[in-house]
Amino acid sequence: METVELKEVLKKQIIEFLNLRDLKPEDIKNAEPLFGEGLGLDSIDSLELIVLLQREYGISIKDPKEGRKVLVDINTMADYIEKNRTK
Amino acid sequence: MLYIHQSYCISPQQTFMNVDWNVLHEAMDNKLKVVEPAYENIPRNVLRRMGKSVRIGVGAAFPIINEIKNIAGIIIGTATAGKEDSFTFLKQVMDYDEGLLTPTNFVQSTSNAIAAQIGMLSANKFYNITHVHKGLAFENAMFDAAMQLKENPQHDYLLGGVDEISDDDFNLNNLAGWYKKEIVSNKDLYESNSSGSLAGEGSAMFLINDKKENAAAKVVAIKTLFTKDEEEIKQQTKELISENKIDVFISGENGDNRLQRFYNACESLLEEDIAIVHFKHLCGEYPTTTAFATFLACDILQKQSIPNIVIKKSTDKTSFGNILIYNNYQGEQHSFILISKA
Repeated sequence: METVELKEVLKKQIIEFLNLRDLKPEDIKNAEPLFGEGLGLDSIDSLELIVLLQREYGISIKDPKEGRKVLVDINTMADYIEKNRTK
Repeated sequence: MLYIHQSYCISPQQTFMNVDWNVLHEAMDNKLKVVEPAYENIPRNVLRRMGKSVRIGVGAAFPIINEIKNIAGIIIGTATAGKEDSFTFLKQVMDYDEGLLTPTNFVQSTSNAIAAQIGMLSANKFYNITHVHKGLAFENAMFDAAMQLKENPQHDYLLGGVDEISDDDFNLNNLAGWYKKEIVSNKDLYESNSSGSLAGEGSAMFLINDKKENAAAKVVAIKTLFTKDEEEIKQQTKELISENKIDVFISGENGDNRLQRFYNACESLLEEDIAIVHFKHLCGEYPTTTAFATFLACDILQKQSIPNIVIKKSTDKTSFGNILIYNNYQGEQHSFILISKA
């Protein structure tokens, strides 16, 4: 899967997993922070995103420090998925 | 004495904030689903995680918790609670072989999620309890509220009844024969002469305390019983109508011809000048419909008028003081609630 395509799929998955009913994929910018001022996600959402990575891409994040580096924005998540995906 | 001061209801009809009994919203595929408001006061991040029962529970409670800051307890009756989330969570357990599961569906699926969310949104750390006794869940919540008021007079409590339709629960109850096999319009519910009813859902919330001043209504008696014998129901009705002069009888009849004998038994004892009202063509059948009936009773007592849409048998009376609600759930769990003008 091309990186651009992966990012679009990832946005759709985030909307579905986190039930972001008011958002469309094009509303989420690739470099927009997922937490805080950007999408405004919170700690429960970070758990949901970790489950998303495990279920959809076979990636298991066990170290919280690693999680903080990965779950920054769509770009960082897509980079990490490309390098570590097992499915 | 338990006095009702405020009441709010989210139902399949226009009952929230601007109550309009003149328009009948129709059932779709034998389901009467709630008309949900915009929930402008609930933070969007919190709202998107809420299942329907939590949404409609919090939504109906919000006007009360927003205004009354020192509520001494939140007492909710619900039989189904977040069934949709329960089934979603259980499916995940199966699909992912008890592996990594998302927390949201589990958190939203527990029975006490409604009362808990109301407590969290209002930063209320006092008594917080959920009664889950199926078709008597709301009545038991009402009992609890009455006992709390006896122990803690001069306090305000939030009392509510909430249930939702979920796909899996609908299928299970449908297989058990509790919903109609043929498609029936809620306009024709009482003439359908077949088994089963229409599925319904809703949420009604009440601000209660023991202060008569400015109250909308008072709850004079609550009786619950478990029986399949209509003679027992007749006996209870006789006792209540001999002790209290009833003006309006609210019947929980739901179009299921197997259960009509209980309602007929009650109605056979009523004097000619008592108005008979029914309501399940408005809200459908679910375990806490008596919360909807209580909301309707408060509306009749406050406005001193019975909406045409609920009249089964009219009366020449122009003032209404005592309203008796009788309901049964699945032919076994029965309740009487006597509500009077404050």
